[in-house]
Amino acid sequence: MAVARSMRRTSPISLVLAALLAFGFIVFMLSPSTPSVSASASAVSSQHRQEDAAEHPLSPPTKPFLKSQAVRSNGLQAAPPVVHYNLNNLTSSGNAIANRERILILTPLARFYQGYWDNLVKLSYPHELISLGFIAPKTKDGNAAVAALEKAIHTTQSGPIDNRFASITILRQDFEPPLQSQDEKVRHKMSAQKERRESMSRARNSLVFTTMGPSTSWVLWLDGDIVETPSTLIQDLTKHNQPVIVPNCYQRYYDSNSKKWDIRPYDYNSWIDSETAQDLAAQMGPDEILLEGYAEMPTYRTLMAYLPNFSALDPHRTVALDGVGGTALMVKADVHRDGAMFPAFPFFHLVETEGFSKMAKRLGYAVSGLPDYFVYHYNE
Amino acid sequence: MNRQYASPKGYSAYPRAPSAFSISPNRSFQPRSQPALRRRRQLFQRLLLLGGVSLLLVIFIFPSWRAAIIPTLSLGLVHPSEDLQLQTVRYYDLSEVQGTEKGWERGERVLMLTPLRDASSHLPMFFSHLRNLTYPHNLIDLAFLVSDSRDDTLGMLTRMLQEVQNDPDPKMNFGEISVIEKDFGQKVQQDVESRHGFEAQASRRKLMAQARNWLLSATLRPTHSWVYWRDADVETAPFTIIEDLMRHNRDVTVPNVWRPLPDWLGGEQPYDLNSWQESETALALAESLDEDAVIVEGYAEYATWRPHLAYLRDPFGDPDMEMELDGIGGVSILAKARVFRAGVHFPAFSFEKHAETEGFGKMAKRMKFSVIGLPHYVIWHLYEPSVDDLRHMEEMEREAREQEERERELQEQTDSTKAKAHNAAKGSDKGSDEGPAAQPAKDSAKGFSNL
Repeated sequence: MAVARSMRRTSPISLVLAALLAFGFIVFMLSPSTPSVSASASAVSSQHRQEDAAEHPLSPPTKPFLKSQAVRSNGLQAAPPVVHYNLNNLTSSGNAIANRERILILTPLARFYQGYWDNLVKLSYPHELISLGFIAPKTKDGNAAVAALEKAIHTTQSGPIDNRFASITILRQDFEPPLQSQDEKVRHKMSAQKERRESMSRARNSLVFTTMGPSTSWVLWLDGDIVETPSTLIQDLTKHNQPVIVPNCYQRYYDSNSKKWDIRPYDYNSWIDSETAQDLAAQMGPDEILLEGYAEMPTYRTLMAYLPNFSALDPHRTVALDGVGGTALMVKADVHRDGAMFPAFPFFHLVETEGFSKMAKRLGYAVSGLPDYFVYHYNE
Repeated sequence: MNRQYASPKGYSAYPRAPSAFSISPNRSFQPRSQPALRRRRQLFQRLLLLGGVSLLLVIFIFPSWRAAIIPTLSLGLVHPSEDLQLQTVRYYDLSEVQGTEKGWERGERVLMLTPLRDASSHLPMFFSHLRNLTYPHNLIDLAFLVSDSRDDTLGMLTRMLQEVQNDPDPKMNFGEISVIEKDFGQKVQQDVESRHGFEAQASRRKLMAQARNWLLSATLRPTHSWVYWRDADVETAPFTIIEDLMRHNRDVTVPNVWRPLPDWLGGEQPYDLNSWQESETALALAESLDEDAVIVEGYAEYATWRPHLAYLRDPFGDPDMEMELDGIGGVSILAKARVFRAGVHFPAFSFEKHAETEGFGKMAKRMKFSVIGLPHYVIWHLYEPSVDDLRHMEEMEREAREQEERERELQEQTDSTKAKAHNAAKGSDKGSDEGPAAQPAKDSAKGFSNL
């Protein structure tokens, strides 16, 4: 009786109004949203993201793609579109932000450090221009690292728009790493180095050649254990407009003697060649490699790790190098496109990143380093 | 107040005795202001409703206001950016795309790569090959590099690709299609003569290598199991070529490449001399050259005495026969994607004294991948007549024309003789026998000069 009474009480006008309201609500909920025209930076960024997105999931991994797909009149999914990429207009210049140049940050992942991710999110280069690529081995450690990474990705990619990266690709590598242990002492043993670095080369090559898209201008190699860089890292490295440029990789540690935190060199793979090293190489068999940082094999190369001028640091100072390390390494995408890769075999008695710099040089590119510009490695 | 009349029958069972059963409260105990309050409340509700509806209408009419209004209304719970509708994260397991001998059954994706330059005349032929491929088209991703073209290669390519993708038959549609434009500032002329001249080879091969690397690095995806390189100027190839090469399940596989020739040049000829096995002589030669030198095969300047895949062909041989190779040609290469993922590419520098596809073979071998050729499985490259051939053809055409002249004269003579005397008819028969014999030679010569 009560229901009937209230029904009877409502006038036709309010019924009509209610119907109209319901209709409006449904239409509103179902209609696709259009990019907002509000002037906030976030809205502009989301509009850029929308415009850059690929129509189809079959697209370069450096682009996000639309979740909804085009459908033909007969109800079938439309075939992937014909997509043009004009690489004549692609620049990689000293003024990367103004030219809206896209960066691909590549990381071979052995372990996940929250410090690494936090540092990445803090980078001040527009995130809509940054794509990430990871490769992890299919081991227990690898699984754990990927699980932690995916959690971090989920937080960032569903957080504030401006912090989100344009796209992220996670690869699992198709070959077993030679060493199961990531233990510092085992890892750095000289006999294990060649195998380890050859496997690392394959991982790096798999990563760069499958994730680099037609719109990528720069590739930044950043190891998963780099936990501290200046937030302007990308701007600072691209500013020099060099085909291959490497900052100095140091490590923070607690000095128990002086009872305070200090820094020490970490990556010794960035060097200027010496005659001793060249003589050593000349006497080697075709499958032997030269390694840096081992007392058994003194090369007398000039190491960038020892080049900083601590009395008057000049982060803009560059030096020409012959070998580079890969902990942090900025490369113009054109260098990789021309074929420069990380040799998984002795290339002029060099492998991995050192072999890469040799190959880049053979392709006619200069290799340089920033001795007074630091990035910091995690301290085990 | 017409409530009583709503269902008059309902009350018949319970006859109302207003005086005895009235439950209506005495008016004097009710709040006096009640009806006015109710009326006001109703008005208020209607106003609210009207306001809400008009707000919705406004939002409906001006969608751009949504971004401003929604967060305010929903207290920030529904963020407008939430519906970017973009998928940004991709996950791939590369051990699932290793490439097996029956890729078409396992749904393995193939990346088909074709570098193009001034190739509009070859495109119709190339697309007919594409349409005929028996490997499932949806598993083939196409990628083209258009560089330094002066003709309408790009426009024509786009039109033909769109036609293929709009084909109502879903079996005709291919997967991802990328057309990449990049000019490398090709200084070397592209005509046959200068293209194959010895001097130009090294720098030309390095530029070609660069182009191939650009194409590959921009289009290789983590989903690819195989990569198939195919030139646009292949005239004849089996429709099943991808499956045929895949069945060998080797890391790098190339067929034998020949080309048809006009009869007066011998009918056919080995075309691709870049597929070879290494020889002692060549290794010694390589040793003697300086670091940046590039050995190019098939020129008298570098006598390498290598066994060539092309010369080992037996037209009746087993098409499945394999031969280990060290250098390969680029007309048609099927390689597992993992070869390229490992870093093997087309060296645009001197790699062990070789560049481009020959260097590719060398590098694949260096990384312990298997590289094989199929000596008796042949595809046919288009015949493009060289300057000498063209000159020769012109000569042949002229000869044919002269022959025709002579015959016509002969014919006229016989005709006039015929008119004079009937018994000369035998000579005219002989002349018309020779006419058709000369005709095909002229036709074929014309055909070739058109190519």
